[in-house]
Amino acid sequence: MFSTIYAGALRGISAYLVSVEVDIAAGLPSFAMVGSLSCEVRESRERVCVALRNAGFALPPKRITVNLSPADRRKEGTAFDLAIGVGVLDSLGYFAGEAARDTLFLGELGLDGEIKKVRGVLPIVREAAARGIRQCIVPMENAAEGAAIPGVAVRGAREIRQVLDFLRAETDAEREKVMPRCEGREQTADDTAFEGEPDFSQVSGQETARRAAEIAAAGFHNLLMIGPPGAGKSMIAKRIPGILPLLGREEKLEVTAVASVAGLTGEEMPIVTRRPFQSPHHTVTQAAMTGGGSTPKPGVISLAHRGVLFLDELPEFRREVLDSLRQPLEERQVHISRSCGSVTYPSDFMLVCAMNPCPCGYYPDRERCRCGEPKVRKYLGRVSGPILDRIDLCVELRPVDVTSLRGGGGESSRQIRERVLGARKLQEQRFAGTGYRFNADIDAADLERFCPLGREERECLEQLYHARQLSARSYHRIWRVARTIADLEGAEHIRTEHLLEASFYRPVREYWG
Amino acid sequence: MDRPECREEERPYELWLCSFPGMGNRQMTKLAELCGSAREAYYAGTDKWGQVLREKQVEGLKRFTEGWEPQREWERLENAGIRFVTLKDRAYPGRLRQIPDAPYGLFFRGSLPEERYPAVAVVGARDCSRYGYYVAEKLGETLGRNGVIVVSGMARGIDGISQRAALDAGGVSCGVLGCGVDICYPGENRELYQRLARDGCLVSSYPPGTPALARNFPPRNRIVSGLADAVVVVEAREKSGTLITVDMALEQGREVYAVPGRITDPLSEGCNRLIRQGAVPLSDPGELLSELCGSPRQGPDEPEEGCPAWLPEKLRALYDALEVTPKTVEEIRESLPAGFAESGGKLTADLMRLCLEDLAVQVSPGCFCGKFR
Repeated sequence: MFSTIYAGALRGISAYLVSVEVDIAAGLPSFAMVGSLSCEVRESRERVCVALRNAGFALPPKRITVNLSPADRRKEGTAFDLAIGVGVLDSLGYFAGEAARDTLFLGELGLDGEIKKVRGVLPIVREAAARGIRQCIVPMENAAEGAAIPGVAVRGAREIRQVLDFLRAETDAEREKVMPRCEGREQTADDTAFEGEPDFSQVSGQETARRAAEIAAAGFHNLLMIGPPGAGKSMIAKRIPGILPLLGREEKLEVTAVASVAGLTGEEMPIVTRRPFQSPHHTVTQAAMTGGGSTPKPGVISLAHRGVLFLDELPEFRREVLDSLRQPLEERQVHISRSCGSVTYPSDFMLVCAMNPCPCGYYPDRERCRCGEPKVRKYLGRVSGPILDRIDLCVELRPVDVTSLRGGGGESSRQIRERVLGARKLQEQRFAGTGYRFNADIDAADLERFCPLGREERECLEQLYHARQLSARSYHRIWRVARTIADLEGAEHIRTEHLLEASFYRPVREYWG
Repeated sequence: MDRPECREEERPYELWLCSFPGMGNRQMTKLAELCGSAREAYYAGTDKWGQVLREKQVEGLKRFTEGWEPQREWERLENAGIRFVTLKDRAYPGRLRQIPDAPYGLFFRGSLPEERYPAVAVVGARDCSRYGYYVAEKLGETLGRNGVIVVSGMARGIDGISQRAALDAGGVSCGVLGCGVDICYPGENRELYQRLARDGCLVSSYPPGTPALARNFPPRNRIVSGLADAVVVVEAREKSGTLITVDMALEQGREVYAVPGRITDPLSEGCNRLIRQGAVPLSDPGELLSELCGSPRQGPDEPEEGCPAWLPEKLRALYDALEVTPKTVEEIRESLPAGFAESGGKLTADLMRLCLEDLAVQVSPGCFCGKFR
């Protein structure tokens, strides 16, 4: 008997359908699996055999052949177990072959027949829906994640026995009873979305840095904070996700897809609803940062997609790690090439960095800092020019004095968020029908179209270009930041004061030597 | 002093005498005098040398001389564009000649400081504050514009700043190095090094190729004060190498000025102590000028004071709130008179406007200081 069952596999964050073909024929008893399989897929044979036996199905002493097609792509992971098990049952005639038509099966089998969670459910279900699959049977733990995709029935299964009962059921009502369809929950209202997030009202003083954080959040600009230990750099960085606009529906799916591929989704968090905040330690390797491995896995920058990538102690990061951020920062995605093929992961993150001004941390306070000028230069120089060039906003923090600590903090995150949302609305209107989301995304070629300048403003920008010896890239960055500042104010046109304020946040050339 | 043509023959041998690192200035002079000239000293042999030098030195000089061809070395020096004078030359700087234990030979590039112009040594901390930066710049500019030669060590910080300002103002400056004049130390002052070679002077008592060793600097400081009529200390810590220059200056009978600072400022501790010990507090570069030149001389192109008249009132208030020392945006906001205080964004925009008009400088991402003329 021969049967074909659908399963799915990942390629980067996209997926493709795999048909699991099972043939059972007379011959010497054997169980052979083919189709370019990695070792964990090969081991599937033992799991499936034992799981079926323990679930009460004895395998006959026949020749069983399993092929995973397309056979030329390398298959990895444990998600094929369920499809293979169902294929074997189908071939043995345990249920009518019709019942498994247009159905995709995903899941890892335990030896007792239990179905365990797998990676990448969301992208696979999405691909299945696009290819006309009507229903997907996935592990119970991943059901809510898959249910976020419209147009396909997603059912969560706990064990293989339950799947067989479902396939044997004769009426829809019975099917629904055995394995109910999982409904996608529309996620949380705005107020609870920020519950538990640290609040900006806990930050004392640091007006300039707060302002910069607000501008950064409103236009999704990259931010660098320089200051002595204890000035509140990390505090501010951790509060930025709390003032960013909520993730849109499409954004949620993008972020969840990456988390799903990385195996971070589960019953507790089927869909990512908050903007990611990734803060890797400075000893992080390049492969962990950009993604890597012999079959590439998403790196920290992809996990920070649509959220914040916070690099604390920026100069302590390895040079090659920092420089590997250059291309993703420009293109907002990262290409990883390996011998088995190349994949592309999204990496549209907001870069927030913090650093001390010198090795001891207290420069230019000459009473505490004895670092010589060359030492300070060398320390600052560890942040390469190309990275600095991609920073939109650079601010300096000074140690807070006791009086401002006593006085408590300033505005709350909610107040700031309201202004940010106002600026976000203006950007939505501006970019309606285009691929852009934030001012920071605008291509240099499109600046003229979306952010026109008056004559006086253009002159001011050109004057700034000469006076501050800007690169073409930073020239455009000032332009974009000025647009965000104008948006925060609700101004329709960019004015010179917006340009001037934007130029204040450019990394100072004299300072960086 | 000998006739010029004799001097020319002598020079390669004087170069030999000065190039041997293991001999003091007095010993060089003595050896040349004992033998009659440097050339005769070269041919004199170890017995004669032994009358002036210790045994070990004689050994060293013998080994050194074996690998030394006076004519060839002299040509090499000339080809490198480096010039050389000794105490026997008329061109040797007169002020330096008078100091005790004056260097026997001087290597230089550019033209040596002329006697008829007054010269002031401006010295101070390498890691100076913004205050020191401002004072050094202002001092260098005033001196340079009024035809006073600024002598200093071309080091980081005060030294380089004052020399650069003097050259910028069209003046003359003389950099005394602790290494050979063919070496630029510190490397970051390369531009200043080249300007000094062209428009001023680079001097060293060390033969070309000598690296910048720590022990070379105290003798270097002696030449700095020796070439000047007066020494001004701009910023110095309690224990600072600058104070060695001051000791040398006092020994050489030079007037010492110190720029006073705040008593809490570690970078001014050295200066304030000098004042306590009797150094002249320098509060106005003009005073120094009148001391040196008799009457205060004003250059022809003295720029006007203060901020331009067209500046709007708001920016003027902001300009007045700025100081020579850097202030953070928050500090500037606090020092603005009531009625001028603005929200964060507007204030930074106005500050950037002042920067564009060249009335302020953004010294670090969050700090500004004023530009005063």
